[in-house]
Formats: sequence, C-alpha cells, structure tokens
Amino acid sequence: MNPRRIRALAYKEWREILRDRLFFVLAFVVPAALMLVFGYGLTLDVEHLPFAVVDQDKSAMSRDYLHRFMDSRYFDYQGDVASERDLAPLLADSRIRLAIVIPPRFQENLQAGRQAAVQTVIDGTFPFRTASSKGYVTAINAAYNRDQLADYLSRSQGVSRETARTMAQPIAVQLRYLYNQEMKSVWSIGAALMMFVLMVTPPFLTALGVVREKENGSIYNIYASTVSRGEFLIGKLTPYVGISITNILILWALAWGLFGAPFKGHPLFFFLASVIYVTCTTGVGLLVSLFVRTQVAAMMLTVVVTIVPSVLYSGLLVPIASMDPAGQFEAHLFPAMYYTDIALGSFLKGVGLEQLWGKVLALAFYAVLLWSASFLLFHKRPKA
Amino acid sequence: MGQPPLVDPAPPLVRVRDFVKRYRQQMAVDGASLEIAPGEIYGLIGPDGAGKSSLMKAIAGVLAYEGGAVQVFGQDIDSEAAAERVKVRLGFMPQGLGLNLYPELSVEENVNFFAELRDVGPELLAQRKQKLLAMTRLDKFRARPMKQLSGGMKQKLGLVCTLIHEPELIILDEPTTGVDPVSRRDFWLILTQLLRERGVTALVSTAYLDEAARFHHLSLMLAGKVLAQGAPEAILGQVPGALLELRAEPQVEALNRLLAEFPQTEAVGPKLRVFMPGASPQTAPGEVQARLDGLRVTDLRSVTPELEDAFIALLHQRRQAGGETAEPLPDWPANQAPQDEGVAIAARELCRDFGQFRAVDQVSFQVRQGEIFGLLGANGAGKTTVIKMLTGIMPPTGGEGSVAGADMRRAGQAIKERIGYVSQAFSLYQDLTVQENLRLFARIYGVRGDRLAEAIARVVVLAGLAAQAEQLVSRLPMGIRQRLALACALVHGPRVLFLDEPTSGVDPIGRRRFWDILIHLARVERVAVLITTHYMSEAEHCDHLALMHAGRVIADDSPAALKTALEQEAGQVLEIAAEPPLAALEALEQAGFSDPALFGRRIHLLARDPARDQARIRDLLAERGVRLLEITPLTPSLEDVFVHRILERERQEKAA
Repeated sequence: MNPRRIRALAYKEWREILRDRLFFVLAFVVPAALMLVFGYGLTLDVEHLPFAVVDQDKSAMSRDYLHRFMDSRYFDYQGDVASERDLAPLLADSRIRLAIVIPPRFQENLQAGRQAAVQTVIDGTFPFRTASSKGYVTAINAAYNRDQLADYLSRSQGVSRETARTMAQPIAVQLRYLYNQEMKSVWSIGAALMMFVLMVTPPFLTALGVVREKENGSIYNIYASTVSRGEFLIGKLTPYVGISITNILILWALAWGLFGAPFKGHPLFFFLASVIYVTCTTGVGLLVSLFVRTQVAAMMLTVVVTIVPSVLYSGLLVPIASMDPAGQFEAHLFPAMYYTDIALGSFLKGVGLEQLWGKVLALAFYAVLLWSASFLLFHKRPKA
Repeated sequence: MGQPPLVDPAPPLVRVRDFVKRYRQQMAVDGASLEIAPGEIYGLIGPDGAGKSSLMKAIAGVLAYEGGAVQVFGQDIDSEAAAERVKVRLGFMPQGLGLNLYPELSVEENVNFFAELRDVGPELLAQRKQKLLAMTRLDKFRARPMKQLSGGMKQKLGLVCTLIHEPELIILDEPTTGVDPVSRRDFWLILTQLLRERGVTALVSTAYLDEAARFHHLSLMLAGKVLAQGAPEAILGQVPGALLELRAEPQVEALNRLLAEFPQTEAVGPKLRVFMPGASPQTAPGEVQARLDGLRVTDLRSVTPELEDAFIALLHQRRQAGGETAEPLPDWPANQAPQDEGVAIAARELCRDFGQFRAVDQVSFQVRQGEIFGLLGANGAGKTTVIKMLTGIMPPTGGEGSVAGADMRRAGQAIKERIGYVSQAFSLYQDLTVQENLRLFARIYGVRGDRLAEAIARVVVLAGLAAQAEQLVSRLPMGIRQRLALACALVHGPRVLFLDEPTSGVDPIGRRRFWDILIHLARVERVAVLITTHYMSEAEHCDHLALMHAGRVIADDSPAALKTALEQEAGQVLEIAAEPPLAALEALEQAGFSDPALFGRRIHLLARDPARDQARIRDLLAERGVRLLEITPLTPSLEDVFVHRILERERQEKAA
C-alpha cells in the first residue's frame, strides 16, 4: 500500500466529480431531491378527505350528525347537493372522495326508536385510502350512536349524562401510541427514506464512476501501471464514501428539520452505523461495476439490485413481520432491512448499540463481504 | 542507442510466440509471433479487427490470452503477478484519441496524476513535465481542461502521460488515427527524439499503410494473422513485381480490360495504376499495351511499388493458397446515364457555429456531375458538419449551398430524394438480411412497388452483393457491410452521393472494391460523389480535393496540382538513406536543412534547389564520416502538401 498513490487516485476522482456538473448533481442534489419527493409523496396519512352531503331530512338531528363529519380534521366539507344523482359527476371528477346521504324522516325514525340508515358512498380507487375512510366514518358513526344511547339512558334512568355515558360504553379502550405518539407516518417515513436513498444513490455513483473508466479506456492507465488492486479500490472509492457520508448528514437534517421526525437515539452511534451502511452500499455499486462494461448496463443493474430490495424487503412499505416466511427470509438477505431497524430505532425509539448491535454487525459483515468479493473479482489483466 | 537492430547482439525486448487470443468463440489473434529488438520502432499495421489491440494489450500485461507465449524484458507474461513485475518499465497508451485521459482535469493535472500513479518524485516530475510539455508544444495550455483540447493535442498529451515515468518500452495503440497531419508529424518527431535520446523501444500500431516507412520492422496483420513481417523494404522485396501508371481513354473501358487480367488495377484520379506481381519492369509496359489495344494510352511509366501494393498482393496470394476463389469481378450494368456535366453540389461560404465554437468557417467549393470530390481532414476538422449541412440535416449558421439544383435551406425534403447518403455511423439494421435492408431503404426513399425488384437488382449487381443477398448483416465482414450501406444509399437512383468516411477500418482489398464501385458510378453513371476521409492514400483517388483544417478549406485542387504547387513553393522531397541514420540526421539538422524527418531508417527533407542540395548533402555526410547509401527524389505525398499548407496558414495568421 502506497499512500501517495491512493491519495493521487482519490484526489483525481474527487476533482472529476466536482467539475463534472452532471455527476455533481447526481452526487449531492439527487439524494436530497429523492428524500423530498418521496417524503411528501409517500405520506400514508389520510386526512382532509373532500366530501359532499345530501340531506333529505334537513332536521336538527341530521345537521347534528353531519356536523360531526364537518368538524373532523379527516374530512373537508365541500357542500350540499340536492340529490344523489348530483353526486356521480363529483365523484367521477375526484372533486369529492366521499358522500353522505341522509334519508328523509331521519329524525322522525330515530325519535320513534326505529333504525335509520345513512348511506355512505366512498371512492374505492385507492384501497388503502378507502379502508381508512371507512374506518373514520364507522368511528364517527359509532360515537354518534353512543351519544344517542347515553342521551336516552340519562332521560329514561334519570341519571347524569356522564353516568349514562359510562353505562352505554362499559369498556373504554385506552390507546397510547408509543414512539410516534401522533401517529405521523412522515416521522417513520423520514427515517426509512434515509435507508432508501442511501441504498440507491451510493451504488449508482460508484458503479457509474468505475464503469465510466472501463467504457472510455482510462481503466488501462490503472491496468498498465504498478498501482495495486487494493490501492486502486481504496483510492477510487474513498471520494464516493465521502460523498455518501456528507449525504447522511444532509438527509438526517432533512428528516429532522423538514419532516419534524424526533431524534431520540445516540447521534454518534447512528452516524457510525450509517457510515458502515454506506460503505456497504458503495460495495454493492463496486460489485455491480465489475460485471458490466457500459454505463447504461451499470444503471440498469443497479436499479434492479438496489431499488427492489430497498422498497420491497426493507420494511419501508410492508413490515417485515407481516410478510410470508419466504419474504421474511429474502428480507434478511438484504442489508436494507437491518438499517431500517437502526434508523427507526435511533429516530423514534431512542435505542442504541445495546439493542441494535446485531444489526450493525450484519451491516459490517455485508461491507466486508462485498469489498472482499470485489477485490477478488477485480483483475488488472482481464480476459476481455 | 538506436543502433541497427539487425546487427545488435542484444536479446529481443519482446518475444511473442504463437500467440492466440479468443473472445468467447470469436478468434481475435490466431498464432502471431514477433520479436522486438531494443531501441527500434516496431509497427503493427492492419485494418480494424486485425488483432493489433489484443496483441498489444497482452504484451502490456493488461489482457490475459489463450495460447502461445509472451515474453517482455525476459519475463514470461503468463500471470497477473508476472505482468506486474514488468509494468514499471512499460508505458501503454490505449486506442482512441485522448480517451484514456481525464476530460475534467487540466493538462497539468493529467500529467501530475500519471506521475503520482507511477511514483515519479516531485523534482523529477517538474523536470520531465517541463521538457515533455515543451517538446509537444503543450506548455502554453497547462491550465486548459483536457476536454477543450483539439484531437492532435489530446494525442500528444496522451503521449506525455505515457512517457512521464520514462518507460523503456512504450506501447501505443493507433496513436495517429484521425489526427491532423501536422500533429501526426510532430508525433513521429517526438518518438524519434526519444529513440535518440533515451533509446526507448516503441511498439506502435496503425491502420495507415503509408506510415509503414516510419518503422524499422513491422508486421502486417489481417483477421488475426500475421501476413508478412520484416523491414519495410524486405516486405516489398517479398513481392517482386512492376507497378505501372498510365492514362487511357476511355478510362473505364481500360480499367475493366486490365482488371480482367490484373486484379490489382485501380483508377487514381485520371490515371490508372496497375501492379503486376512477378512481372519485370522491362516487359510489363508491353503486356499492358497489348491489353489496351485500340484505346488511347498516354503517359505509361513504371514507378516504385508501395507497401499497400505488396500487402494486397500478399492477400491475394494467401486467399488463392487457401483455396478461396477471388470475389467475382463486378458485372457492371451498361446503362448510360445522360451526359450531364452541370454543377451538382455548390457550397458558398458555409458557416456553422456551435455556441462559441465555429466548426465550419466560410467553406466554398463546387462538385460537377461525374466528379469524385474529396474532403480531406482530421477528426474535428468540420467534414461531417459540411456534409450534414449540404444534405439538409443541419441548418447552416451562414452561407448557402445547393445540391442537385435545390437550395438546401428551403428544400430539405426535395434534396433528400435526389441524394444518397452513407453516414459515418453504421446505419444498417444488423438483424435483417442484405435483401431486407435494401427493400427497407428502397421503401423509405419512396421507390414505387412495381419498380422495387428492378431497383434492388440493379444495386445488388453494382455493389457485388449477389452472393450475400440472404445473409444477416451482423454476420458480414466490415468491407461487405460498407458496400451494402452504399447499395442502400443508391437504391433510389440518386444523382448525388455523399459518403462520410465510408472506408474507415476496412481492409485494403475491401477499400479497393469500394473505390471500383465509386469510379464506375462517377465515370459511367455520371453521379457526383462527395467523400470525406482521413486516409491520405485514399485521397489520391479523388478528382478534386479540398483540404480541411480547423473548419476551413486551406487548399482546393486536384491531387496532382496540389503536389506540383508544393514542389514549386517549397522544393523537392529528397529521401536519404545513410548509415548510421541518426548521425546523418544530426548532421543535416546542424547544416540547416529545413525539417529533416526520420522515416524508419531513412531521412526525408525538402530541397529548394535539388541539384545543389544533393551535392551539399554528399559533401556534408562524407565530411562527418557517415556512409551515404543513396539519395532519391520523391514525389511529395498529400501529407507533405497538407502539412505545408497548415504551417503556411499558421504563419500567415501569426503575421497578421
């Protein structure tokens, strides 16, 4: 190992990246942009659902019932329409996602102790959102029923409303959400996106950087010189690891500052674990670059080997625990899953090395494996 | 240092025995052997796909191979570790102009990087950098990013970077392809200087046969095999024969008669050139006269054969020995086109800017029907841009042009139907057969359905593709593909044909077949042909030439007139054979002769007063104790013309 040669390689690479505008953008702008785009786009909270109302009763009780929807932060009241027929175009245009139809004699029926049917029409285009909408509607409806029951009890039994309420709902569920008290998906997404972006961008940069030299022939400068394989790999990749470390800090700041995700863990632990993670993903790019000859092929292969595991097998969209056994097994084969746990643990749970050492070890193992494989596969006297 | 290698007792620096290289099933080199002596410039000459690069990479220790043995500095290069041991003493420059350099880094940063890679200390680096950059005249551009250098400068920077650790053996893969002639001459000058000063040994590959004279020894390669080996003169000696030049009217009739008997007959501008292997210069003229009975023959004379003639003769021999039948002679369709002598292409002060950069600068010329007009220039000289403007693909920034009577700015589509265009990039569909490609292009150019079969049959005969009609294009060799590309461009019967570097990388026989077709098109069918090339030897075939340099036309005349003008302006080229050549070169330089240059073991210089200068040279060399073998006056080559014109232009610009 000759430090002067390593330094020369690293310095050359660094200057090339800085001066090549496209590469510079790829290195520093794309990761942050990915974080922003996905952060706002992937928000899984369903709020502000636009809805319209057909009130064929126009009684005090129907208005009271409807107000419970209008006052909720989950719904945005768009207005009344005269008949059910008028709802169709609104739903078709996506101007509303939901409609509530109160039948005639709603109040009369209720006061007579008969059941009244309220029709709810929900746009089923996006099943996830539909399911959430249904949940909200059911919950608001249940609350109204409970209050009606409590009113009836208080009147018939002559007890106070409070007592009546307890009687109507003998068991109350006390919910407390841990780690993400407000259930804001952007908090979890912020942390998970660090996993995603740091899984995708370092391999891209690295693979392109190495294959570029193969494609235009400057790799022969390395082949034909006395630079050793190790010197080349270290010198060539140091700038890429450096860029990714900078990106760790940038993405961290975005998750914390912009998405408002709390950071409860140990900063140093998280930082070091992240460095191991990007070393590992840089190794993915290096390995890819050894199998392809053109930059186009490098990009395609990188997409396949990084995006698929980081989206599907990392816990970003689907929790690992709810996968089938085959899926769980595959998830354990990719480094993304381990870092997702580290990131969520550090951001939301405030846990550190004591709880996460196994995951860190897994990442370190990956890094060593990928770099060693690349070292062994890289030849200065190839067959073609 | 630079001693005659034949008497040098030193063991060879490089020894290759029965070298075999395969890429999967594809055989790249099949049993090549060669030896390179210390201090010589060894050449590998051959077209694309000959196996030159594979062999050079194996010698440089950057490519594993399948069979045979490679020994460099006495070390068997049979493993990665073995290859590592000699890399300290090696310099390797891969193919492609400046492609191995780093475009974002400046000239100086590139040099520094190579030096650090090669463990050159700071003092040594400063010293060598100074010297090499001065030698290559790059020192003014130290801070310029490499991507902004011209082709010739990139090539020289590549050379500097390869030399910065002072290797004993340098391996340069096609360093002169597509470079302008002045840079090319500079390149050879630098190489010669290194040879003299430090006894560097060089292995250089080239696709230009006319560079053969630069080498001490060389191997002619084709399709993975070494066809001939030895000193240039010795290879010529292997193929004794007579080369005749003549004028005959009508030229095509004479050409066809001679081709029937002597396959190495070609039309060079208004002349015919016949190489007759085995014939003696005394009897050859009589034989030719007999074949041309009834035609008007003038200017019949015997000239010295060139390496290309020998190469082609060897190829023919090899093919006959291998039981291969020669490709059948073209059976030209005898339809006579109207005798149209009008102007087919006219360019008037064409300009084209790309941002700040002026790629084409006030280019004017005319091409008549039936004329072969050549645009000769280095990569980046603006040749392709001119063609794109004339074919209506790219709008000009200024100036105007007309093609086949239509103004190219207003009649883009109308022009396209009257012209044929063979582009530089290979534009055929590889997964279609020859016939399918022709049919597709005929349809694209709007040949009517009922005339389709006839139109295709015509070009199949013209391009000699009958035997390959049902084959897939991807299986065809380069030379035949180029003929197919030509056939596709001709299928709609255009009156004007544009060819953009159609013969790059094609072997010499393939090139000649291609030119036979062009000659027929121009002479018999009176098609106007505009062709670009960077092969100087190919340019000789044109009726009229425009030399392009840095976007401008710097000379415009017939090849013969260009040469005559050079002789009148700058003097006669003398070739001097002397022993030892380096001492002779030094003596001539000191005596103040203008730009003596070393070509292998011979020296070329320009003499303003040939008779007096010859006497001076004899006296001078006798005085220095250098043995003079011979002084031969040479006709200047187009390269000489080109170099002279460029330098003259530069001097004028400096004065202005």
